[in-house]
Amino acid sequence: MKHFVYICLIQHLTTVEKSLIVTQNNHEIFSSQSKWLYPLFELEDFIKAKQIEANNLFLTDKIAGKAAAYLIVRLGFKNIHIQLISEGAITVFNRFGVRFTYDELVPKIQCKTEDIVNGDEPVDAVWQMLRRRAGRVAGLIVDIRELSVEIDNKLVLNNLMLRIERGEHVFIKGLNGAGKTTLLKAILGLEKISSGSIQIGDYLVGSREWEKNRSIVGYVHQEMVKNTFPISAAEVVGIGFSAQKLSKAEKAHRLEISMRRTGCFHLANRSFHELSGGEKQRLNIARCLCQQARVMLFDEPTSFLDGSAKDELFDLLNEIWANEAPTAIIVSHDDQWIERFKWPVYELNEGKIC
Amino acid sequence: MLELFSYPPILRGFLVLMASGLSFPIAGVYLLRLNLLPLRFMLMHGALLGGAVALAFQLDPFFTTMLINLILVWFMMQAARGLKADAGNISIFIMVAAIGLAFTFISVFDVQAKDTLSLLWGSIFTISPLQTVGFVAISLFVILFQLLKRNQLKAVFFDSSIAYSSGVNERRIQYFVILLTALIVAVAMKLIGALLIDAVIILPALISSLHTKSMKSMIVWACIWGGIFSFSGFFIAYWLKIPTSSAIALIATLIFLIIFVQKKLKK
Repeated sequence: MKHFVYICLIQHLTTVEKSLIVTQNNHEIFSSQSKWLYPLFELEDFIKAKQIEANNLFLTDKIAGKAAAYLIVRLGFKNIHIQLISEGAITVFNRFGVRFTYDELVPKIQCKTEDIVNGDEPVDAVWQMLRRRAGRVAGLIVDIRELSVEIDNKLVLNNLMLRIERGEHVFIKGLNGAGKTTLLKAILGLEKISSGSIQIGDYLVGSREWEKNRSIVGYVHQEMVKNTFPISAAEVVGIGFSAQKLSKAEKAHRLEISMRRTGCFHLANRSFHELSGGEKQRLNIARCLCQQARVMLFDEPTSFLDGSAKDELFDLLNEIWANEAPTAIIVSHDDQWIERFKWPVYELNEGKIC
Repeated sequence: MLELFSYPPILRGFLVLMASGLSFPIAGVYLLRLNLLPLRFMLMHGALLGGAVALAFQLDPFFTTMLINLILVWFMMQAARGLKADAGNISIFIMVAAIGLAFTFISVFDVQAKDTLSLLWGSIFTISPLQTVGFVAISLFVILFQLLKRNQLKAVFFDSSIAYSSGVNERRIQYFVILLTALIVAVAMKLIGALLIDAVIILPALISSLHTKSMKSMIVWACIWGGIFSFSGFFIAYWLKIPTSSAIALIATLIFLIIFVQKKLKK
């Protein structure tokens, strides 16, 4: 979080006074003294918790550049007053029909986000990028350096380099046998690394600390579970916390929340083996949520899904990225499905990322 | 009929049967899930090898058999992991090797083959008070293990890579489950005989897998069926004057047929 609270002129201007005030019928319902974009993120939490509509509220912000403008638009405010506004912010407000007044206009706010945001991106994309910069995502950095993995004397991954930022989502494509599954298994610690390293958050994969905390990585594998041993849907989701010491109440709470979030609570007592491919995939994601995984790895998640189940999975994944925002790596060769996400796509070829 | 229990060997036999009936089907669930059904045959042949070694070197047959079986199981697990092969298949190989070694000992040390074979046939009515205590202790340990490790076991039985990614030490759990199962099979074989092992351990688990939808209910129902088979088998055997193991196997078959017909009718 510390590297994001820098070089902002805002720091000068927001010392002890309230930097952001929200009123409803001239009555103050929210205020914040925080700096940078944090007041707006705090406001987002407040609005979500109170379940109120922002279009009936009035917002007064001390400074707004393009980034703040995007957040205000996403929150749904229609009437605002800004003390110090940038020209870029005015463009954003005009684009989205927000009625605004201001005290002082400057060409540009001296903040890094003012340079990063163009003003013509989709609102959600900017919001997700800003959340990542603000450290308001569950995801962790995955840093793979010079990774080589040998299987049966064959070099499957060859000095592979890849860095995925916290809360970022990427696709990895490649021909059969290119090493996509091997890469995921290496990240999990299931495949022995010949050389190089994989760092996930503060943990080096394979280290003793990693062994104790490896449940931070959730995994949805390619093949369907083949055994037909009796197991209920709720039991499959509960596997997520099987290695965690939790109270009975906490377990029940996590299970219910995860299953409701993924729309599979009604399946709880059904046999896992009786469910459709789409329902099983929902359970797998619920299991990762139950595990509170901060990095999620998916190996060909659509390989056994039909068209409508793929659509449902698309919506569900988007919703999870928008809320929990774990870092995600999805291995897939389903080009049509990949294109819908508009995420970065890396190609794995001869053991290297192209 | 209750006066039967005034005879200590019969009372002990009944207690051991009930303890094993209520707890050993848990190991049956493990055996089924981990595809370790051939393990029983390996352990039977391991018992022959243990008997031959014990008689050849004048050692205690019970403990020698136990030790040899545990060594064989350890070797099986190492080989299965090292070769990335199915433990059940490896156990078939070890079974053949064990019988080969057993007959080598019988031949070289001039051991009476029928003495070693007698080790395979136990009887619930020949169990000593100390063995009864040991038996009940193992039964309690199995139940306790299942209760304490149920979540990890569930994860490992569902899928080992998912168990691993959830933070479960799946290798340790699998090793322990196999060793525990081997211990139960080896002890049960000595005390209640080879046929009764299947009747008490495998059949209740197999039947519960036919009508349950969750792992928890499968374990609970396996124990309930094991208890019902043991209890009813004990008295039906007395009434019909047939071996207890046969009575239990016949009752289990009857229940199996009822569930099978019921499922067919439902479809």
